[in-house]
Amino acid sequence: MLLVGPYNDNGWSTATYEGGLYVQAQIPNTEFIYADNVNIASNPNTTAAQFAEQLLQRGAKVIIFNSDDMKDGVSEFSKAHPDVPVIWLSGDYAWKDGQRYQADLTNESDIMGEMEYGKMMAGCAAALTTKTGKIGFLGPLINDETRRLADAAFLGAKYCWENIAEQTTPLEFKVTWIGMWFNIPGVTLDPTQVADDFYTNGYDVVISGIDSTEAVVEANKFQGQGKEVYAVQYDYKDACKVAPKACLGVPYFNWGVALKPMIQSIIDGTYTRQFVWQGPDWKDINNADTSMVGFQKSDGLSADASTKLDQFISELAGGLNLWTGPMNYQDGTVFLKEGETATPQQIWYMPQLLEGMLGDSVAK
Amino acid sequence: MVTKPAERPESTGGLIRTLLTNRFSSIVIAVLLSLAATWIVISVMGVEPVRVFSIMLNGSVGSVDAVTQLLQSWVPLVLASSGLLFTFTAGLWNIGMEGQIEMGAIFAYGAIHFLSGTPLSGPLVIIIATFSGMLGGALWAYLVGLLKNYGNVNEIFGGLGFNFIADAVLLFLVYGPWKPAGVAQGSTKMIESQYWLPQLPGSYLSLWALGAAIVGILIVAVVLKGTYFGLKLKAVGKNAKASFMMGIPTSRYMLLSFILCGLFAGLAGSIQVTGFLHVLRNSISGSYGYVGLMVGMLANYQPWVVVPISLVFTALSKGATGLGIDLRLDSNLSGVIQGLLVIFVLLMEGVRNRLSRGSKGISHG
Amino acid sequence: MDVELINIHKRFGKVHANNGISLTVKSGTVQGILGENGAGKSTLMKILSGFIQADSGDILLDGKKVTIHSPADSVKLGIGMLHQDPQDFPPMKVVDNLIIGSPMGLFPDRKKIIREFEELQKQFNFSISPETYVDTLTVGERQQLEILRLLWLGAEVLILDEPTTGISASQKDLLFATIRKLAAQGKAILFVSHKLDEVEALCSQVVVFRQGINMGSMTPPYQTDKLVEMMFGKSIVRSENVCEKQEDKSFEIEELRIDDVRLAIRDVNFCIQKGEVIGLAGMEGSGQALILRALAGILRPTGGHIYMIEGADGGRIDLAGKHYFTYRDHGIHFLPAARLEEGLIQGLSLAEHFALAEEQTGFMVDRDQVENLSKKRITDFNIHGTPESRIEELSGGNQQRAELALMRDPLRLLLLEHPTRGLDIESAMYIWGKLKQRCEDGASIVFISSDLDEVIHYSDRILVFYGGKVSPAFEASSVTIDMLGQLIGGKGWS
Repeated sequence: MLLVGPYNDNGWSTATYEGGLYVQAQIPNTEFIYADNVNIASNPNTTAAQFAEQLLQRGAKVIIFNSDDMKDGVSEFSKAHPDVPVIWLSGDYAWKDGQRYQADLTNESDIMGEMEYGKMMAGCAAALTTKTGKIGFLGPLINDETRRLADAAFLGAKYCWENIAEQTTPLEFKVTWIGMWFNIPGVTLDPTQVADDFYTNGYDVVISGIDSTEAVVEANKFQGQGKEVYAVQYDYKDACKVAPKACLGVPYFNWGVALKPMIQSIIDGTYTRQFVWQGPDWKDINNADTSMVGFQKSDGLSADASTKLDQFISELAGGLNLWTGPMNYQDGTVFLKEGETATPQQIWYMPQLLEGMLGDSVAK
Repeated sequence: MVTKPAERPESTGGLIRTLLTNRFSSIVIAVLLSLAATWIVISVMGVEPVRVFSIMLNGSVGSVDAVTQLLQSWVPLVLASSGLLFTFTAGLWNIGMEGQIEMGAIFAYGAIHFLSGTPLSGPLVIIIATFSGMLGGALWAYLVGLLKNYGNVNEIFGGLGFNFIADAVLLFLVYGPWKPAGVAQGSTKMIESQYWLPQLPGSYLSLWALGAAIVGILIVAVVLKGTYFGLKLKAVGKNAKASFMMGIPTSRYMLLSFILCGLFAGLAGSIQVTGFLHVLRNSISGSYGYVGLMVGMLANYQPWVVVPISLVFTALSKGATGLGIDLRLDSNLSGVIQGLLVIFVLLMEGVRNRLSRGSKGISHG
Repeated sequence: MDVELINIHKRFGKVHANNGISLTVKSGTVQGILGENGAGKSTLMKILSGFIQADSGDILLDGKKVTIHSPADSVKLGIGMLHQDPQDFPPMKVVDNLIIGSPMGLFPDRKKIIREFEELQKQFNFSISPETYVDTLTVGERQQLEILRLLWLGAEVLILDEPTTGISASQKDLLFATIRKLAAQGKAILFVSHKLDEVEALCSQVVVFRQGINMGSMTPPYQTDKLVEMMFGKSIVRSENVCEKQEDKSFEIEELRIDDVRLAIRDVNFCIQKGEVIGLAGMEGSGQALILRALAGILRPTGGHIYMIEGADGGRIDLAGKHYFTYRDHGIHFLPAARLEEGLIQGLSLAEHFALAEEQTGFMVDRDQVENLSKKRITDFNIHGTPESRIEELSGGNQQRAELALMRDPLRLLLLEHPTRGLDIESAMYIWGKLKQRCEDGASIVFISSDLDEVIHYSDRILVFYGGKVSPAFEASSVTIDMLGQLIGGKGWS
């Protein structure tokens, strides 16, 4: 597996890394090897595809790319080695109905979790906690995936604010994009600074959309100064452990759930190219063996909010679809007409933020 | 009077002295010392040094694939180092190499960006992009030279300044006008494969790039060793005042050395785009400018010596990527080894100079 | 304290620097010691102050024979020497400079030293703050500090070696007043100088050294002519010849002006004939070096013309203000005194120098051709070295011959700074032989030298410089060495 960040980033890379370990533990006679820090800044002269070659030389039979950032590496490597199964986490080259479908990469599969549900829960937890009615969303770079997740968080928050908390004042939901999945000094906005600005300007809950932990670390700092502010983490199950009291919870991935059957099929010789976009196991969203997406609550979440969040989760499990019209894009154009529900393509390739959200829909 | 060569050593002390004053043996000693120091560093990190060295050796020359990767990475470094020989010979420190490589990449990518989709053929666009990149690098170097000549700004500070500007321009372009539709993530969209330098199947190595590097170092060697221009450049580097007195237009030669160096930097930058990454992205210069300075220093400004030294440096950094996978060591270890190598070679150089000056004094007395 | 030096001998290799010199300086007098550079003045003073030891001879203080092995010995005996270059520690405070030179042990009493220093300087109307840093003082103030330090250490005999170089006129007046006062206090003063006017103004008695020998002494009233003759030796026969025939003219310098930070040179007029040698004489820093560099095109004159005569019809080109390379292209060649700084390139071989100096033939260097040329030049100019020898491996004489060998043809004007400085007689003669050959080919030579013998011997005409003023051109054969000595010493200027 190629990890875009360090294996111990407590975020995206750690979550995928744990997925690899899970498969190694679950399927006998498998061995998990990886290279981390596969990114421009850390290794300027070695590309993702070259790292993949190195793993191949060390006997790897399946190559897993863990980041959208590696899209060029995925296609190059797949073309060069049509006999080696390639799995791209968060990718969409294998999705026949997708916009980036690449028919010639016959060995390539994609896996993604339906994190929209996780983000809805995150938004809900935030809405049930905020006292000011202002929620901040610490966004990474702007693309289809990140707009999709920000929109989902907004939908979850709006629903819980209006229908569960039964508030009548409008909810304020603001997105600030830093420009990358993590902080690159001088290149991105400083996420610590962005989180600070949110908290000092009355946004008492910040939902983190980035892979690192600045939002919760800052919340913890503000709590230390007596302010009641919280953050929601992302990616990795144990991400709240850096500051449990400042954290409401974390929507996370169990990559192993989707990786295990795919690896098994490769071993069995039954592997076919797939696009996997898998949601939670609604029977138990935190079941590490069955639920691709989960939500781990943390100490910051009050008992009352926790109960109400469970209520929301059961509504989702019961078939509540928040992607239901009427719904407009941020610029006022119609996204969904009254009673219409969104297609997977509409959700995956989300072109804008939604009406009612503050923040940029496209990079300026 | 011509100083006589050192006396034949009669004792061990004399032998050590001879070993230290001989250029070749002093480099060998420096390499051994830096290996020993690396050994200590690795041991302190709690890893078996033999494993580290074997992984690095394997990762750099252990397979056909490793060798092609090595050569692919060697191309920009040897181009950068050879270009720097011009400025080194003229007694100048072109710290601005990094920015010049970036400008080369920007100009090369820019040419492709604007020409893709036009009826011009792929090879023609590649040629235009290559020259455009060389122009970009030369322009950036020329500015440093102008500042030095007419603004009295030391080329080290000027170079650093222009590195920052090149960085800023690059970031602006990849996060701004040239970003792929909808996404801003520090790299542009890939150029169409018809604009790629032809590569050996299954590798990044382009024989064209390799050829350019070899021709490049040949040109540098011939110019510096065989032409009046090279001789004059050397004179300017050794003593600008006396060179002026002898009728050499010193500031023009300094400017020319910058421009030539910039051409090489630009070529390296455009090969990064057309022959390797196929995108424009941040950090595209790959630190080849800084490493090239080290190579140039170690090579003591001799073109032929640049070839093996730049190979060794590339092998060190290529070999080190495996350290992360197999031993979970930071691949920056290769930087430590390179640094130690430079320090020890310079140290031995100092010792050698001191000793040979000492012996000269004795023969005069 | 009376000082007596008896029959002092000192040799440096072949040079007999002090050849049986005897000298008596009484307490309360200012003894002038005159002589041109290399006459043996400094050697004798260094012997007295312990920096070097005499080969033979005695030193008596108040009639008692003493041995002086080191500067510390001389300080203990009450002898203090004020060097041409200040002997202080610039980055330190004045008071710390005193402490360093004192034998006061580990814990000096700073306050006491400052008090003593203030008292001492009040006597002489100096005003140096003991707490300032030495490097903020002027040359004159540093000299004052040094005098005070020597007095504070108990000096009864003061040696002042060329003390007026580099100080202002008012500081010079103060210095002279100080010296007179010190003599009145009973100190014995040895005032070393080659400036006649100063010596005459200050000293109660003067001795003249020449070539290591005491040529005699004089008391006021001084006869300047006599002193000059003692300094420079016998006079030489006059003869006549001036630049008048148009066809012989090579250059005309008109109304040339140069403004330098230290010096303003005004209205220099002279002509240079084909094949002639013009010597520029003067104390270092009198303006001759500036004129030479202006003629070479290195220093831009602030006014005037440097005409080069082209052809028999008297057509001329003004080179003033043109680029140095234009001068070179017109066959004007400059040989700097700082050979390894300005003339030659350390790290390059002889062959590489020859390749650089030659007319470039094509793009590539033809190694064989350069090799052959180098070998020929090395033989022609009697250079001890091979084409591969690096220039810094050659001795000074060989470097100088190499510089001559580097000159290209055709040569119109050759400008030389101290062409034989630091060379032995044989090398010097060889160099001049080569130079005279160039003159026979029609080149003219203008050179500066501090060796008056060289100036008179090799020049056809001589220009004398003093404080930026330029004399009319003298026929070298009409100028005696004493006349020249007077002129460069500032005497005889209207």
